[in-house]
Amino acid sequence: MPDPCASPTPTSMTTPAPEPTPDPCAPPPNLDYEPPQPSVDIPLASPPATLCPFTVNDAGEPACSVVEPSKDDKKKGSKSKSQAPDSSSLFIDKDWVAEHARQVSRMLLGGMKVVGIYVWVGDSAFKNSIIMLGQTVKAIADAAPLLEIDLDERILIHISYSPRRWTCRNCSLASNITSSNLRPCDFKMGKVLNSLQTFKCIYNFDLRLPIYKNSSNVRTFTDALRHAISVHAKELNSAKAIIDGNLVVNDKPCASDDLHEVELLLPFMKDASAEGSQKEVTGVIAFSGSVCSFAYLNIKEPISQAVAQIKEDIILSLQSRLDIICDEADGDADPSDAETGEGSDGMTTKNPISQLSLHLLRKTCNLSLPRRVFVPWLADMLVCDYLQSSETIEVVKDHCKELLSMETKFESLTILKPEVEAPALMARSFWDVAAPLGSAPASSSSSNSSTLETQRGQTSGTTVKSANINVILAAFFLLLSVIIGFVLIAVKRS
Amino acid sequence: MADEKEHRTVRVLCPKLVLHKHEPGLQWLIGSPFLPPLTVISTVKCILTDSSSSPDYAKESVSPIRAEDLRTLLPKGFDVAGALIVAKSDVEKNAANAIDSARRLRQILSDSGGSDRREALGVVVDAESGEVHFFASKSVKSTSLELVDSIVYVDRPEKYLWERGCLLRCELPIKLSIYYPVENSSDAEKMLQRATGAVIAKLKDPKVAYMVETVGKTSAEVPHPVVLRGSELDFSVGFSHIKPSNEAGQESDAKLVLCEHFCVNDKSGSPVYSAEDADKIQVSVLINSSEKSPKSAAPVAEYFPALEEARFLTVEFKLQVLSYATKDLPLMFAVSKLAVPGLIDQLNVMKNAILPNLLLQHSQLRPYHFSPPGVLHPITVIYELNYGETELKQVEVRKSLHLRLGLPLDRPLLRIANALDMFTTDGVKSVHKGSSLLKDVHIGIPSSGVSGGTVSLFQGSYEYFHYMQDAFNDSGWGCAYRSLQTIISWFRLQHYTSIEVPSHREIQQILVEIGDKDPSFIGSREWIGAIELSFVLDKLLGVSCKVINVRSGAELPEKCRELALHFENQGTPIMIGGGVLAYTLLGVDYNEVNGDCAFLILDPHYTGNDEHKKIINGGWCGWKKAVDSKGKNFFLHDKFYNLLLPQRPDMV
Repeated sequence: MPDPCASPTPTSMTTPAPEPTPDPCAPPPNLDYEPPQPSVDIPLASPPATLCPFTVNDAGEPACSVVEPSKDDKKKGSKSKSQAPDSSSLFIDKDWVAEHARQVSRMLLGGMKVVGIYVWVGDSAFKNSIIMLGQTVKAIADAAPLLEIDLDERILIHISYSPRRWTCRNCSLASNITSSNLRPCDFKMGKVLNSLQTFKCIYNFDLRLPIYKNSSNVRTFTDALRHAISVHAKELNSAKAIIDGNLVVNDKPCASDDLHEVELLLPFMKDASAEGSQKEVTGVIAFSGSVCSFAYLNIKEPISQAVAQIKEDIILSLQSRLDIICDEADGDADPSDAETGEGSDGMTTKNPISQLSLHLLRKTCNLSLPRRVFVPWLADMLVCDYLQSSETIEVVKDHCKELLSMETKFESLTILKPEVEAPALMARSFWDVAAPLGSAPASSSSSNSSTLETQRGQTSGTTVKSANINVILAAFFLLLSVIIGFVLIAVKRS
Repeated sequence: MADEKEHRTVRVLCPKLVLHKHEPGLQWLIGSPFLPPLTVISTVKCILTDSSSSPDYAKESVSPIRAEDLRTLLPKGFDVAGALIVAKSDVEKNAANAIDSARRLRQILSDSGGSDRREALGVVVDAESGEVHFFASKSVKSTSLELVDSIVYVDRPEKYLWERGCLLRCELPIKLSIYYPVENSSDAEKMLQRATGAVIAKLKDPKVAYMVETVGKTSAEVPHPVVLRGSELDFSVGFSHIKPSNEAGQESDAKLVLCEHFCVNDKSGSPVYSAEDADKIQVSVLINSSEKSPKSAAPVAEYFPALEEARFLTVEFKLQVLSYATKDLPLMFAVSKLAVPGLIDQLNVMKNAILPNLLLQHSQLRPYHFSPPGVLHPITVIYELNYGETELKQVEVRKSLHLRLGLPLDRPLLRIANALDMFTTDGVKSVHKGSSLLKDVHIGIPSSGVSGGTVSLFQGSYEYFHYMQDAFNDSGWGCAYRSLQTIISWFRLQHYTSIEVPSHREIQQILVEIGDKDPSFIGSREWIGAIELSFVLDKLLGVSCKVINVRSGAELPEKCRELALHFENQGTPIMIGGGVLAYTLLGVDYNEVNGDCAFLILDPHYTGNDEHKKIINGGWCGWKKAVDSKGKNFFLHDKFYNLLLPQRPDMV
């Protein structure tokens, strides 16, 4: 996705506010709550930039606050020393904002990116906090990198109280943060969400990863998978695409605005993960499954962009799932236990499977990556979340509330679960798997997963439908009666 | 196929039908299922596995190894149309024998269990009189042979073949991962067998997708690539139910697109018809990873430790196949009946070659395509790159191929350097990359003026080396060096060698190395002569030379007959050295009756730039009569001359 910031001509970066709508033509938005304090939100972008507010951090403290010098200096980060009335400045919990950005970007589908932050604060406080804001922008850029485009700029939107006014600035990431890094840029509003095109792809893969005996770089299960994903990403990049049955050959925009089905054609049997010859192996990983992927594209953009976005979304989705497993493992790991370590069969340890050292494993073990589920968001756009086998749909709701400030009644939402739970581990041995293109995973587990599905539906209490996504999108479009405004930001590079 | 009904005609396309007239033997006659039956496109000699005196010609068809050779040698789209036997007697019996052999071989090559309903051709050549008899047999069941007396030797056979047909090329690199237990390493072979079996199954899988596109044309109106899905294709064996349809107007359906759709070569003007210039269609193999499945399961990773010591091995196959399809053939058949079987055959042949040394050797089998002179269609040969080209084993392989195809045994035509470059640089034929030198400057010169003479020229191509080239001032001393460079360029362009043409300094170094000259010779401006040239040719190329000395230039015309013989038999350029200037001799024009003669001289003393017109007008390349119209002698009578006649290496 060409980031609007990088585009020499004014392009479409829209910013629909997530909640009760701002007048598209007359900023500031008419929010139905006045923020009790300045809030740093993360505009999502590309094609639409949308604002995504957040509230409090883990400790229950605001992630962002205006520090008045007259007050007792509770926040150590305060830099305001002047006694002047407008010497107030912002304190921002950068790590928290960055973590938020990271988690939000994980929920975004292809074509949607975290491109910057917005801050709702008075003029003077803004001016006094340029450095802090710049650091925050840098932090979110690190936490939610834009993979495809190598852009060293992010956007900083300032919404001031009075007069109510939106200003947009480019924030360069390249050098040290000074006010000179902030360059004003044009800021326009427009309706883009409704003209977005949706691309959907089910991507099936089945990889065999040899684990070499004397290799130093791959040690744990997740290391091996991470390596495999990065290798596979290269292969995926060379894939050809068929959209709605037609091979993508030219760069014309897609004519119709329905849901487009993308099929990816990969090189035939070009096993990129295999390298070298006659190496000793300790085992093999069978890494397989399906990724349900979506991407959104502005109607004016070439169709090859959609293909690129789908490919990126597939890889990011796989990486996100792995990240989630690692995050959880990190959380669980008790530092004192870490050394008790790997027993003779590698399984007695308290380490989660994902952190096991594969060389020491003597038993077959499996690691189910979380399932991807989709939640309707703005217009008929979806966001995604990941569900581990032990989790219920409540987790998704919480994520939506916490991270995207979704206030919708979840009972009325249809959460899409196109991916079923991975089938139960088949009794297979090394040689079954290592045999070239060994028999495909049997389908005997289908009954298991469907029972799981119903159980889950009961506990979660949400409407679970695995119906055709087309139907649901259409239905959801009707449900969504809230009118959403858009901000079109056109950025001019100076 | 209408003319098969009543009036049967044998169409002979190949320029040389009988390869070896006087020795008994059998040749396979190659036709195409897409061309009218009884059409002979080319011929391949049958090489018997044992040289027993009783010629059981069916042996080759029985010996699977030979059949396999033929399977990959011929592009798909060509097959055995019949057989030709050179025999001394018993025309009818031999014809039946030939037809029987041909049918049996066809059976093996086609993999089809079904009966062979196509006509077969039996040709018998009388070993003594050279008389050729053509017989046809309608089907396996009918035992009666029919003498065919309507024989058409097609004029411009290349046009016949390539006007109505095109080449499909398909390149498929495959990397297979093989795991095997250290204890029982023979399992590796079984694993490879299974892996190749799986590849073959996957090539016919509904998930496979074949992308078809035009090759190498950059014009604006290139047809869009078409994707054919494995689920739409019919991989059953045989061409029986292919109906080359001419119904137009259905091109929207990918299934019904004809090969013609992708043939975009300009037909106006005077198109060149050859395998290299044929319309080419590229077929790529892809796997659809978004094929709809009843349900998609979230990713899962399972680790399986090897309970015994195991090793891992990757085996690479770089498949490249060519197939011939007529333009009215629907694309889907071209893929399912030609390209895919071609890939499978090549994979099997390579697998069988790799298997015996799977763990010992990292095999590097590569297919190469050739279009040798006299063979209308391309052929494919698989070479093992681990061996040097000059190793005996490879030389034997090439020799036997030369023999099979009726190619001369004294020149390399099937070396890698001769291969068609069908897969990389599209449409760009660059024999000698980066060379800016003029080639074959003698083309277009005025005739010699010898009336009634016979012209004998060298054969092949050379590059013109002369004074002052590469900004190197050798004027006055470098003529013999330049003549040597021209001669070496001939060996290069004829693919006898791939070494670079040596510089003056490198030539001097060689002469010092072999002890002919002192080290001070390097970098000097000393002349060299014919003898030095022969040393360098021997050292660099292993080429031996014949030397003719004459004491006076006046004696040279007497040598014309000998020189003409050299050009006919050896065909190499000759260097003229001696007391004065050095020249390169490219040919002679000699009237045996009155002794009038002229010499085609390529003069290395030219100091200008590489401009063809200037060279010709200046007479730097042209016919020189021994005595010109003004009575001046070209070869000085008071000087001696040495003629260096490089002998064509007897090698393939």
